[in-house]
Amino acid sequence: MATTIAHVPTAPLRTRHSAAHRRNKVLKEIGFWGLLAVFIVFAAFPVYWMLITAFKQVNDLYNLQNNPFIFNLAPTLDQVRYLIDKTQYLTWVRNTLEVGLLVVAVTIVICVPAAYALSRTKFPGSGALGIGIFLTYLVPPTLLFLPLSQLVVGMGLVNTRWALVVVYPTFTIPFCTWLLMGFFKNVPREITEAARVDGCSRLGAMFRIVLPVSIPGLLTIAIFAFTLVMQEYVYALTFVSSTQEKMVTLGVVTDLVRGDVFFWGSLMAGALFVAVPVAIAYNFMMDTFVRGITGGALK
Amino acid sequence: MAEIARSAAYRRGVVGRTFGHLLDSEKVFGYVLVAPAIIYIIALIAYPFGIALWFTVTNATVGDPLGKFTGLDNLKAVLDDDVFRRALLNTFVFTLTSQALQMVLGTTLAFLLMRKFRFRRTIRALILLPFTIPVAIGAMAWNWMLNPTYSVINWVGEHLGLFQYGPNWLGEEKYAMVSIILVNVWRNLPFTAIVLMAGISAVPQEIIEAANLDGARFLTRYRKIMVPIIAPILYIALLFSLVFTFTDMTVVWLLTRGNPVNSTHVLASYAFLQGVVAGSLGRGATISLFLFPVLLIGALAMLRALKSRQLD
Repeated sequence: MATTIAHVPTAPLRTRHSAAHRRNKVLKEIGFWGLLAVFIVFAAFPVYWMLITAFKQVNDLYNLQNNPFIFNLAPTLDQVRYLIDKTQYLTWVRNTLEVGLLVVAVTIVICVPAAYALSRTKFPGSGALGIGIFLTYLVPPTLLFLPLSQLVVGMGLVNTRWALVVVYPTFTIPFCTWLLMGFFKNVPREITEAARVDGCSRLGAMFRIVLPVSIPGLLTIAIFAFTLVMQEYVYALTFVSSTQEKMVTLGVVTDLVRGDVFFWGSLMAGALFVAVPVAIAYNFMMDTFVRGITGGALK
Repeated sequence: MAEIARSAAYRRGVVGRTFGHLLDSEKVFGYVLVAPAIIYIIALIAYPFGIALWFTVTNATVGDPLGKFTGLDNLKAVLDDDVFRRALLNTFVFTLTSQALQMVLGTTLAFLLMRKFRFRRTIRALILLPFTIPVAIGAMAWNWMLNPTYSVINWVGEHLGLFQYGPNWLGEEKYAMVSIILVNVWRNLPFTAIVLMAGISAVPQEIIEAANLDGARFLTRYRKIMVPIIAPILYIALLFSLVFTFTDMTVVWLLTRGNPVNSTHVLASYAFLQGVVAGSLGRGATISLFLFPVLLIGALAMLRALKSRQLD
């Protein structure tokens, strides 16, 4: 810029101005990246820490003279091997997939019709029901775990993963219904009205018109339900105590602690293998999620 | 043969049409579709909530889940319990501090992430990590980072000469509470930031540009233009974070189990200790019932605020 306007009479003034401007811009840029770096370190460091802990040799991990940020001895797979061979890790992963998929299925089957009815039809009490379902999300696991534990005993599901399939929809249904209502509201009414005029039934309009354009919404709630299941800890801890039936998260944080001894390397390895795939999947869903809750365009 | 097939098809048609016709009434359609959700919620939320209320007035235990009616004995015992009173206070300190930090940091982070910059997707993915990792696993990673002997934070502090021996983060009362709040903020910050970002990007670009042309300063722009538009979403974010934080026991349980000497319990973790570990259903249910009125008041306030915003 400065060179192209150099022949203009006011050049010196302009140059000074633009230099100050540029310095300002550089400072702003430094401030921006500095601040962002702080957030990145805060958010991601624990994950880096899990990573390096998982692959360190035990002699390296517990040597206080070593720089803990790097591998002082060659990385090792010993901790991972211990996790696979000496614990029920693979069983826990399978349990989690089973429970997660079943809960997603139950959630979809119950949520889709409910959210559709509450967002696209009017009937006496529909507003109150919507708010009611929304409010049930506020009922926390820590309020219900005692009575539910007795209910689970009554159903003969005590100390099995199936207890979790029954109980987990208590938080996925309210959350997902509410989220899905937002998606359904964004499908223009005119489309379904046009379909109705053309002789399509209400149910037909739902299945043939609204659901196909709401697939991103359905995927979002499926992922959400699944990750809510993976994140859950309180019910898993309360209802399941035998190693064979544990969810992966619970298994990792309970079975790799024997008395006062923490198997930190294997624990972090187990944690990492769960966290990474979910984080990746989640990351791809985030835009859909954001679009959903902003009421943005769902085409 | 053909006749049978035809009559079967006819019958199917009639049944289908009658069913379809019934569903064509908006009322019936609505009720039928909502019914499964309502039935589930009554069976597994409302009914257990009723049982929880019953527990609070009985001496029920895991061994004897019916128990005998004991009136307000549980309530009296709980109110007399020093650990409970401490847990009640801790719950508010924990929730309000975490919430305040999350809103301030979340707003800052949201504005940072709104900008266009290189490696934006990668950086956003890194920042989202705490939210996508199971809570229990994140808490365990922090437990390891705050380990009394091998704490990496203390290693850095000692090598920078900040202190000779770092604090025992989870073993000393004041540091334990700080640690719990820190880990909770770490976990919920990405969620808050993402929701705020969604709100901010909902503000039409033309309005911001118009305000820029009119020479509005950043803070004015934020307060007068952004906040009114994103407020409904802000409230929702606030509500969700409040719920997550107020009722959570995972972070406390995995970091300190309420120790040292029961000084870091929150309502939820103490209810777990009494109701599940000690098996006293009545006592545990009474403690966790204290979560409910606060949640209800918070939710109603939010809903009201939401409605009045929409009316403006």
